[in-house]
Amino acid sequence: MAILEARGVHKVYETRGVETTAVNGVDLALEPGEFTVLYGPSGCGKTTLLNLLGALDEPTRGTVHLLGRDLGQLSSAALAQLRLHELGFIFQAYNLIPVLTARENVEFVMELQGVPAGDRKARSDAILAEVGLAEMADKRPLEMSGGQQQRVAVARAIVGRPAVVLADEPTANLDSHTASALLDLMLQLNRESGVTFLFSTHDPMVIEKARRRVRLLDGRIEADEREA
Amino acid sequence: MGGRTAAVLAGLRRGGRFSTQVFAAIARDRILWRVAWRNVWRNGRRTGVVVTAIAVGIAGAVLSMAIQFGMVFQMVETAIATDLGHVQVHAPGFRDDPGLDHRLDDGGRAGGVALDELPQVAAWSPRVRASGLITSPRSSAGIQLIAIEPAREAAITVVSDSMVAGAYLDGDARRVLIGQALADRLHVKVGSKVVVSATDVHGDLAGEAFRVAGLYRTASLEMDRTTVFVRLSEGQKLLALGEAVSELVVRARDRKDAADLAAELGRRLGSEADVRTWRELAPLLVYFVDMFDQMAWIVYAAVFIAMAFGIANVLLMAVFERTREIGVMRSIGMNGQRVVGLVTLESVFLVLVGLAAGFALTGLGLFLLRDGIDLSRWAQGLNALGVSNTITPVLRPADVLAPVVVATITALLAGLWPAIRASRAQPADALRHV
Repeated sequence: MAILEARGVHKVYETRGVETTAVNGVDLALEPGEFTVLYGPSGCGKTTLLNLLGALDEPTRGTVHLLGRDLGQLSSAALAQLRLHELGFIFQAYNLIPVLTARENVEFVMELQGVPAGDRKARSDAILAEVGLAEMADKRPLEMSGGQQQRVAVARAIVGRPAVVLADEPTANLDSHTASALLDLMLQLNRESGVTFLFSTHDPMVIEKARRRVRLLDGRIEADEREA
Repeated sequence: MGGRTAAVLAGLRRGGRFSTQVFAAIARDRILWRVAWRNVWRNGRRTGVVVTAIAVGIAGAVLSMAIQFGMVFQMVETAIATDLGHVQVHAPGFRDDPGLDHRLDDGGRAGGVALDELPQVAAWSPRVRASGLITSPRSSAGIQLIAIEPAREAAITVVSDSMVAGAYLDGDARRVLIGQALADRLHVKVGSKVVVSATDVHGDLAGEAFRVAGLYRTASLEMDRTTVFVRLSEGQKLLALGEAVSELVVRARDRKDAADLAAELGRRLGSEADVRTWRELAPLLVYFVDMFDQMAWIVYAAVFIAMAFGIANVLLMAVFERTREIGVMRSIGMNGQRVVGLVTLESVFLVLVGLAAGFALTGLGLFLLRDGIDLSRWAQGLNALGVSNTITPVLRPADVLAPVVVATITALLAGLWPAIRASRAQPADALRHV
C-alpha cells in the first residue's frame, strides 16, 4: 500500500488575473522505504509538488493521501500534527532556527512532539553522532559550514521518526564532496531505518544514486523509472 | 439579527478556545520561551531602542506619579497635622452650624474616657473653636480662634514644632500664638500686645488683650494667615463657655485606622456625639486625592497606548523579517497556536525588559530626589495649597503594580496582531518569502 499518494493533482497560481499551472494532473504513489528523486528543469513544478505532498500547500484539484488520510479533509491543526509526526523536511537553504544550537534544533521537533527531556537528549546525541556532528552539538548555525548545517537539517528531519522525508534540492548549495557525503548519509539512513525519502533535485549525482527517478516537465510526469 | 448574534458568539467561542490553546502551549512548551527570549536579542539595536522607549515612558510616568502623589500626600498630611487630626468629635449639628451653640458641655469628658480605652488612639485633645477678630495698634484681621491645651495639642498637630520666633504657649497667662504671615500683616512681633475679640456664647461681643508668645510657620499659608491659638481655659473664659468645648481632635496610631476608630467611637458615644474622619471633614481634599488617582490612569493610558504602537511596530517588522523562518517552523510541525504563543512571548519579554529598565531608572530618579525637590520659587502658591517648599516623591505599591499589570496586558494585545498574522501564513507561501 502506498505511504504517500497524489491522485490527479493540479496546482494553479493566479497573479493579477494571469493563471499559471505549476502542477498539471500528477499521479504519484510512494511505497514505504523508497528512495525517490523528482527531477527536471527549473520551473517544472518539483518544489510545488513537494509542497503539496508535504501538506505545506493545497492542490487546486486532486487529492493527496498520506498513510491513507486525505489531506484535503484535514483541518490546519490536524495537518500541523501530521507534519510533526509523519513528515520530515530538508530544505535547500538548510533553514535551521538561527537562535538555537545544533542540538536544540534537533530537539525542537521532539519537544513539540512531547518527547520527555531524557529521551530527547539521548536521541539527539545519537543522531548527531550518526551524522558526524557530535562535537558541533553546542554550535549555532552561523558557526557551522553549509554541509554541517545541512547534516543538522537531516538529523532534525529524521529524529522525529517520520514516515516520509521530503527534501527540496538538499545538495544544491553544497560542494560536490560534501553533497556526496550527505547523500551517502541519507542512503544509509534509508537502508538502516527504512525511512522513505523523496527528493527534488537536478543534481546528476543525486539522480544517479536514487532507486526511483521521476522526471517532471511542465508540471506533468514525463518518466517514472525504477531500478531493477 | 439573531443569526448575526449567533455568529458573533460562535466567533467568540472559537477565539476563547484558541486563546486557551495558546496559553496551554506557552505553559507546556519550554522551547517557545527559549526561542522567544533569544529572538528578543537577535536585533540588539532595535530591541535597545524599544526598551529605552518603554523604560523612559515607565520611569517618566511613575516618577511624575510619585512627585504628584508626594504633593497630594503632603496636602493631606499638612491638613491632618495642622488642624484636622484623623478623627474629630463634635456635638450633633456642629457640622451644619459650626458655632458655639453646638458644643460638648461636659468638656469632652465622656469622649475622653472612650478615647483613653481605644488602643488605636495615639493622642487626643479638646479644643474651642470660634470666629473672631484680632487687632494690633496698626491693623486688624479676621481670624479662626482655637483654644487648646498646649501639651495635648503638641501631641497632635505640628504647631509646637513650627515655631519661628518666641515660644510655644508657656506658663505665662494671656498669651497667643499667631502665624508669621498674620504677624507681618498686623505689624507685630513676639511680645507685642494684640486684642482678640469674638462673639461669646450669649451673643455678646467679648474681647481680651493678649501678648504674642510666639510666631509659627507651617506648610499651610491659609492657616498661618488666619489661625490664632490661646490656652483652653482662657478661650473658654473669653467666650463664656464654662467647661464646654467645641471638639475633641484625635490622632490615630495609623492613618488607615481612622475609619475603624471613628466607627468604634461613634458606637460608644451614641447619638450624643457626631464622630467624623478627616475624609468626611475635608471632602475637597478627598476630591483632590481621587482626582489624582483618575489622572494617574490617564497618564498611564497615554504612555501605554504609545508603547503598544511601538511594540506592535517592532514585532510586525520582526515577524515580517522572519516570515520564512516561521514558515520552516510551520513545516516541521509547529501549529498556529504555538506561533501565536511564540510571538506573544516575545512581546511580553520585550515589555518586561523595558519594565525592568524603567523601574531601574525610576529607582535612580527616586534616589536622586530622596531629599525632595526644592520648589521655593513657587513657595507662596504651594503653601496656599498646603504644600511645603520641598516635595518628596512618594511611591505607592499600586504605582509599581499598575504599570506591570497594564504593560503586560498591553504587550499581549500589541503582540496579538503580528502573532495572528504570522500564524495565518500558509507554510508554502512563507517558505517562498525572501
